[in-house]
Amino acid sequence: MKIGIVNNSLGNVGSVYSALQFYHYDVHLVSKAAELKTVDVIILAGVGNFPTAVRKLKRYRLWEPLNEHVLGRRKPVLGICLGMQLFADVSLEGGRTEGFGWIHGEVKKIEGDALRLPHMGWNEARGNGHPLFADMKTDFFYFMHSYHFVPVEQSVVVGMTCYEGVDIVSAVHQGNVVGVQFHPEKSQGNGLRLLRNYLKVAAS
Amino acid sequence: MDVGDPVSQGMIYDAQGADEIIVVDIEASRDQRLVDTRIINKMITKCRLPIAAGGGIRNVEDACRCFSEGADKIVVNTHAILNQKLIGSLAKEFGNQSVVVSVDVKKKPDGTYGVYVFSGMQYVEEDLTTLLRRVVDSGAGEVVVTCIDREGTLQGFDVDLYRTIRNLVSVPLIASGGAGCYDHMVDLFRETDCDACTVGKMLFLRDYDIVRIKAYLKGEHVIVRDA
Repeated sequence: MKIGIVNNSLGNVGSVYSALQFYHYDVHLVSKAAELKTVDVIILAGVGNFPTAVRKLKRYRLWEPLNEHVLGRRKPVLGICLGMQLFADVSLEGGRTEGFGWIHGEVKKIEGDALRLPHMGWNEARGNGHPLFADMKTDFFYFMHSYHFVPVEQSVVVGMTCYEGVDIVSAVHQGNVVGVQFHPEKSQGNGLRLLRNYLKVAAS
Repeated sequence: MDVGDPVSQGMIYDAQGADEIIVVDIEASRDQRLVDTRIINKMITKCRLPIAAGGGIRNVEDACRCFSEGADKIVVNTHAILNQKLIGSLAKEFGNQSVVVSVDVKKKPDGTYGVYVFSGMQYVEEDLTTLLRRVVDSGAGEVVVTCIDREGTLQGFDVDLYRTIRNLVSVPLIASGGAGCYDHMVDLFRETDCDACTVGKMLFLRDYDIVRIKAYLKGEHVIVRDA
């Protein structure tokens, strides 16, 4: 199984790359549309600003090819943090920007009383029995975000996190599309386990 | 004291379940250069935990270089204190959460604390209270306060210091300098409301590891993250 991590658009992906390489997966950085054709699994990882990421993906001519591979060819895709937010129809970060729309929903700023933003640090993500969260030692993962994905259909939600009383969707799954709001590549043993669990889900 | 390669040390602490690694080139400001950002990149590719990096950061461009090499947060000390506008511009550019301000202090004979920059070499007139208020107001997301007198002594944290300054710092406050045994951390977290502490020499000397530290703290009802 050849894994391609989309590069050059969403910040430094070195830690995602090396986390997968650690287990000797066949992992590659993808910067061109042609390279997408050769991979079996696509990873969209990173942090940053939603509109900037969309602009960069379009500028590098990856936007339409990604749509084609994920929607048309139904290739498995994993979105991490901003990568998962890109699945939404629209994000309200810095105006209104259209996302891929692979999972219906909106990306909104986290709102609550006297809430400290961004939500940054270790927090618990509780899976609903989804295989993504199989065999975890604890529920702790590393988070770093101010905006969160609010899907239309609750059925796509497979993991939830509570931040100062506000419920945040921390994992989604719909068909060939899986996303996590936290950073498995920065979440030590749990994170590595989740990445391996994901690849089992992708292969099945 | 040379205790080895920062990347391999980082991997050890990661494996032991550290919550975060702070890696700072403490001579960078004094030598008027920036931390070698290749080290940050090596660390983020070898370690699976958040990394705060610093050393010699003078402006937004320097910080940008650290972030593009994969740092999750930056740590600023000397230039955050000497240049009153720096924290504001870093916070505006990268968000408060990514900006950690580190302050080095020494106890004066009268019991108050003096602030030092350039790795403890130069005294600063601005008093600690004013300084802490200023850095938090201008956008520091976290504040690390190091007691130079305790640094490397393994004699315990300056608990009085953190008790005094806690109310001045509305963001997470991290105690640094003096950790030498389990009970130093228990004392710190019982006696003060610090959010975290740093551990350096105590780990370098290899008599302790983070797994056992966390287990001990848990036994003493200090809340720690299970790793």
